[in-house]
Amino acid sequence: MAGQALRRLMAEYKQLTLNPPEGIVAGPVNEENFFEWEALITGPEGTCYENGVFPAKLSFPSDYPLSPPKMQFTCEMFHPNVYPDGRVCISILHAPGDDPMGYESSSERWSPVQSVEKILLSVVSILAEPNAESGANVDAAKMWRDDPEQFKKIAHHLVRKTLNLPSPSD
Amino acid sequence: MKMRAAFIALASLGLTAIVIGNAYYQKSQFYPSVVYITKSNPSMAVIYVQAFVIVILLGKLMRKLFFGQLRAVEFEHLMERSWYAVTETCLAFTVFRDDFSPKFVALFTLLLFLKSFHWLAEDRVDYMERSPVITFLFHARVVALLLVLIAADMTFITHSYYSTITKGPSVQLVFGFEYAILLTIALSTSLKYILHTSDMQNENTWENKAVFLLYLELIMGFIKVVLYTVFVMIMVKIHTFPLFAIRPMYLTARSFKRALHDVVMSRRAIRNMNTLYPDATPEDLAQTDNTCIICREDMSSGGNYPSSEAWMRFRFPQPGSTGFQLPFAGLPPFPPPFPFMAPPPPPLPPEGFQGLGDEELRAMEGLERENVEARIRCLRNISTLLDAAVLQMQQYHSIVAPTMTGLRSVLSALVPVIDTSASKKKGSYFREKSEEEKRREKELEEAEERELMEAFMQAPNADPRLEEIRRRRLRRFHLGRQDQED
Repeated sequence: MAGQALRRLMAEYKQLTLNPPEGIVAGPVNEENFFEWEALITGPEGTCYENGVFPAKLSFPSDYPLSPPKMQFTCEMFHPNVYPDGRVCISILHAPGDDPMGYESSSERWSPVQSVEKILLSVVSILAEPNAESGANVDAAKMWRDDPEQFKKIAHHLVRKTLNLPSPSD
Repeated sequence: MKMRAAFIALASLGLTAIVIGNAYYQKSQFYPSVVYITKSNPSMAVIYVQAFVIVILLGKLMRKLFFGQLRAVEFEHLMERSWYAVTETCLAFTVFRDDFSPKFVALFTLLLFLKSFHWLAEDRVDYMERSPVITFLFHARVVALLLVLIAADMTFITHSYYSTITKGPSVQLVFGFEYAILLTIALSTSLKYILHTSDMQNENTWENKAVFLLYLELIMGFIKVVLYTVFVMIMVKIHTFPLFAIRPMYLTARSFKRALHDVVMSRRAIRNMNTLYPDATPEDLAQTDNTCIICREDMSSGGNYPSSEAWMRFRFPQPGSTGFQLPFAGLPPFPPPFPFMAPPPPPLPPEGFQGLGDEELRAMEGLERENVEARIRCLRNISTLLDAAVLQMQQYHSIVAPTMTGLRSVLSALVPVIDTSASKKKGSYFREKSEEEKRREKELEEAEERELMEAFMQAPNADPRLEEIRRRRLRRFHLGRQDQED
């Protein structure tokens, strides 16, 4: 049998394929390398990201369930908790243990009990409710707070872009 | 990129041809032309470039032969380590600048070359654990590569040994030790390969593999540390301090220390798991989900225990991982120290329920599920409160203890003023007694725990104090771990 990380990733892949959570598709890019995944996340209904399909890639470390994977959107993204280059900044992706800044509690951070599914669900939930307090993209955080209309417009624009639709000509 | 590499290779080939042609044209005989080339600096530069290009081409060929396509991670590792190795080689050149000769440069290049193949082999074997499909070609390549590497290391070690014996200590000493280190790397890689292969042969997971890997790491680390120490001692004695060996030596010592720490921690964790936690019965497993929360696998195989299942498979951090945290770290943190502030007492029920009839009492008690649940919740809360109280007492004690020792030291300082003859006895008496008291307390506590554990073995769930003892031990273990990390 293969190593723990691989077995765990295989188990999670199986689980995600058998009972996919709504609006989320994820799996290895190719089945020879289980340590690089790609995921598709649909924007939650009733938010400004509604109807969008956002591709992302997940890369797992070799000691996977002990250390968290990294997640990066491969499409253009404008969101307070996503860096301009697409890297996702949420507490569940941070290495286990206590936050040196004391902002996050250790229970919010990564632990081997978490899973890919939970990560993706958390990402969906931050799409629905951005956390503008600890912004990865400061411009987006500022706009989310001060100019929600403009933010919505940009998000809507992004959604159309992910669907390969032309932007509304207004 | 490819075009440029090809251009450089062709250009160097052309230059070499021109240099050799020129030498032969001028001297028209073999030996005079060789002498001419070695005496002329520009010709030598061209020859060096040509040798460098040949080495790179050879490296590419070997890579194709033994590895096929390198993965991105492997390439990254290789590049990173090569930079350090090149820097160290340059430092080594400064130490041996008196022996600087083409042969010397060639030997160092060969060493670098072999080193990089050792790293690649190591990476490849580690990759075995992470790859779902291992082909026959993979096995053939790894085995062939490891055999070649071990043979090469042995040859160079014997060569440098005989050269040192016959001609006295020289640069060969450095090569001897470097190849000895490489040999340990090659051996540990082969052993890992054997472990992984035998693990892959059978379908079930081999729990003990992690133990073997851990001890392998420890033993190899120890051998390397010894080798480096001997090397530095010999070098200091016959030459100067080997500056180029500092970094690898430090890294080896650190990884050895880490391996030792891992072994100690894992042993402690296993012991705690075995003594503190009862094995789960099949009924327990049937009641819960029966899937390990960490490795997401069925736990029925092997009759393991729900909590220690996590340990059995995950107690060993992979080499190189730093973020490993024991699950105990998730225990609630200590409440802030307010030693003089007691929590408000909970409201008391009517004493003895004397005013109530049986009927009323039953009505108050309730028989529905939610009543029972509420009762259990209440009991849990009480247990949490008790825990908090114990913690607060401990903190209070830890705050008060330093003041007490301070007082004691003042006292013992005062005693000699009063009576010089009895002073020493008294001072030491104080301290001895306190230590003895501590020991006795500890013994008592341990005896109590042992008794409880025995009682538990005979009749599980009989004693509610057990929970408390377990928690106490857990905390002690947790604290000890923190101390060690500090």
